Amino acid sequence: MTEQVESLIRKDYAAGFHSKIESDTLAPGLDEDVVRFISAKKEEPQWMLDWRLKAFRAWQEMEEPTWAHVHYPEIDFKALSYYSAPKSMADKPQSLDEVDPELLATYEKLGIPLHEQATLAGVAVDAVFDSVSVVTTYRAKLEEAGVIFCPISEAIKRFPELVKKYLGSVVPQKDNFYAALNSAVFSDGSFVYIPKGVRCPMELSTYFRINEMNTGQFERTLIVAEEGSYVSYLEGCTAPMRDENQLHAAVVELVALDDAQIKYSTVQNWYPGDKEGKGGIYNFVTKRGICHRNARISWTQVETGSAVTWKYPSCILKGDNSVGEFYSVALTNNFQQADTGTKMIHLGKNTRSTIIAKGISAGRSNSAYRGLVRINAGASGARNFTQCDSLLIGDRCGAHTFPYIESKNPSAVIEHEATTSKVSDDQMFLCQQRGLDAEKAVSMIVNGFCREVFKELPMEFAVEAGKLLEVSLEGSVG
Amino acid sequence: MSETSPQDFKHLALSLAGAQDSAPWLDSLRFTGTEQWLEAQWPGRRTELWKYTPLASLQRGQFASWGSAQAYTLAEHALLSLDAIRLVFVNGQFDAQASAGDVAGVVRFSKADAAQQALIEARLGKIVDTKRHLFASLSNAWTQDGVLVHVPKNTKLELPIYIVHVSTPEATPATANHRVLVVLEESAQAEIIEHFISDEQAQNGFVNSLTEIQVGANAHLSHYRMNLEEEHIIHIGGVHINLASNAQYLGFTLSEGSQLKRIDYQICHKGKGAHAGLNGVYLPRNEHLLDYHTNVEHEAPHCTTSEVFRGIIADSARAVFNGRIHIHPDAQKTLAELSNKNLLTSDKAEVDTKPELEIYADDVKCAHGATVSQLDQTSMFYLRSRGLCEKQARTMLSFGFINELLQDLPQQAVREHLHRHLTQLFDKDHFAS
Repeated sequence: MTEQVESLIRKDYAAGFHSKIESDTLAPGLDEDVVRFISAKKEEPQWMLDWRLKAFRAWQEMEEPTWAHVHYPEIDFKALSYYSAPKSMADKPQSLDEVDPELLATYEKLGIPLHEQATLAGVAVDAVFDSVSVVTTYRAKLEEAGVIFCPISEAIKRFPELVKKYLGSVVPQKDNFYAALNSAVFSDGSFVYIPKGVRCPMELSTYFRINEMNTGQFERTLIVAEEGSYVSYLEGCTAPMRDENQLHAAVVELVALDDAQIKYSTVQNWYPGDKEGKGGIYNFVTKRGICHRNARISWTQVETGSAVTWKYPSCILKGDNSVGEFYSVALTNNFQQADTGTKMIHLGKNTRSTIIAKGISAGRSNSAYRGLVRINAGASGARNFTQCDSLLIGDRCGAHTFPYIESKNPSAVIEHEATTSKVSDDQMFLCQQRGLDAEKAVSMIVNGFCREVFKELPMEFAVEAGKLLEVSLEGSVG
Repeated sequence: MSETSPQDFKHLALSLAGAQDSAPWLDSLRFTGTEQWLEAQWPGRRTELWKYTPLASLQRGQFASWGSAQAYTLAEHALLSLDAIRLVFVNGQFDAQASAGDVAGVVRFSKADAAQQALIEARLGKIVDTKRHLFASLSNAWTQDGVLVHVPKNTKLELPIYIVHVSTPEATPATANHRVLVVLEESAQAEIIEHFISDEQAQNGFVNSLTEIQVGANAHLSHYRMNLEEEHIIHIGGVHINLASNAQYLGFTLSEGSQLKRIDYQICHKGKGAHAGLNGVYLPRNEHLLDYHTNVEHEAPHCTTSEVFRGIIADSARAVFNGRIHIHPDAQKTLAELSNKNLLTSDKAEVDTKPELEIYADDVKCAHGATVSQLDQTSMFYLRSRGLCEKQARTMLSFGFINELLQDLPQQAVREHLHRHLTQLFDKDHFAS
């Protein structure tokens, strides 16, 4: 089952094209002037600039983290360009009709239609192209419900009080190396505000696309769910195929106030590099949410892209009875490396968290689960269940598990389980003697392995995720 | 008491080495140890292997002299009652009077003949992984005496080897270095019991202990290691084991806490088909800090590991457990399992556990599990409904929690000794409050 499988393995990265869009790109380099430039370009108020500069100064003092189980050549932060925008955005289009048709075509190609009439029923999209948000659909309908869904650059101008109050409240500027960098140079991203008691009438979605060469993408997402509200948010990402590595360092902050619920789903499909491990995106992301009383945050992620992933979507369970969930499928193939997991910080009483992490390694890739469950002294009655399973496909790959468990409360109950194995010969045999070919059999077994996570995804995404997995695994059966 | 800087502590430790009168044939090991000890980075909170275990109390200790053979009185039943070859050390000094029995191949380094010296030179300090165990370098630098257990091919030691380390307090805080080297040749069999104990006074010493074990092809070793010293002692210990093909190592370790106790186990499967079983129990209480780090390296195919650690953490104590299993690229058909369960019996107790898997081969089955909780309420209710008072029920359940590991111990003397000792300990209320 080797050669025939080998040949089946690789379906090319379908999103790897590059669109010829004239863009306005800042020369490479990083100093305070770059931060000022970005801030000026976005016509930001003084307080925002000060906030960025404070982050930048902190960043200069910080050291790049090296504890993750990933290896990559040192990044020259001075060689990157920190801002790139499609030229046609200089005068911001007022409506969809004014958007550069080339841009619309790009998203069309990716299967993300930005025409409202053609959109997946009931999903509002914010499209971020390189450093700017190009279009947000269904805004009028959302505004009726009182929901704010707009680029964060716009929110800084239109809703300064809200942004001031919550920006950096979950991921402070100095939180870590990449978060500090992001705080200094972030260019755009999405802002979501759900008023008290409102159930957001449709799924919200942001679609990220890196297009220009030598640029880093630094987006910032802030979601605030007021008391008793509900929102489901989806995020997707792609980039062209290039030989050099590109940096993506995003920050996502979620605030779930009392009784609120936020569901955050990601299908990450940044360019993973080619079969020899050349190129690909470095995905260094900080995602964190804070749960107030009775609130619930669930992170669901399907990670198939990026050359190197460094990502730990976390929950701070501050309020009593709050709930944090983390469902993840991380698939690595060829030379990809992923170090991903979550942190569940239990502060409030009777807080609960569930972690289901599935790692699949194929080719010469390495994937690691790294998680922290911390029960503070005040979190009586806290409960955690963690399950992380790894599946190995091929004998040159690696799967690793590094769970940290810290408990300071005797009434807390923590359970952690991890297993690692390969697709068993028995399972393969059973499928094959029923007439499935090797490829189909593996795909079926892998899909079954990931089912617990896929069922947490919104329907459209679940289908996409299943397909993505199939594509990413093609030819890795052996 | 002022805290000495890491550099001061390092130099203080080396000045102790300078004060030793050691045999010339150990010089090269001592020299390498000294160099590594000087070069090594002092662990801090950012050092992954020492993340939860500060060394402040060690740095404060001012251990400026070597322990001396003091007179001591042990409590009744402090030692195992079994027929064995017994070697007793007091504060690191050999106690000929308390020792008994003699068998070929078991000898102190200072009494080794030429062939044994050659064997020690060839093996000592070569099994231990100084990269993962900083204090092994120090132990190398401090090598003066120790115990060699050498079992030749196809030989079975009829009697267990019982090595007792007694600690007693001294006028000024003192240091003891314990070294054991076990070499089992092909198809040899042996049983070794290491017992760390103190008299009943408050201790003020620092013990650095290191046991290196080579289990040859088809050889079989049972190894017990008990740390039952009084609570003010500082003990840093290491057990490093290499397994040849089809070798078997069955280990058991139990520790009571103290102000700082750190034990590292490292097992390397070097040959095909080896098996390692390691069970452990840790029982810190009061303000103890007790840290177990285990690391299993699967370097060869068809090997198996089964590891179970259980801990009950009482009062304001803190327990740290780190269990790593590393499967190398060619170690196919490996089966490895690790389980770590913890009971917290007080609001101020803390446990930090981290079971790790690092796997680079695909045809393997590995699993680990960790739990932290308090006593099961349903079980409590059941026992209460049968008329037991709350305390009795708690003691019974806590004891039962670790007794699963004790009751299967093949060595009856150890089993009975621990049963008696722990019953007394549990009666004192710590683990059942």
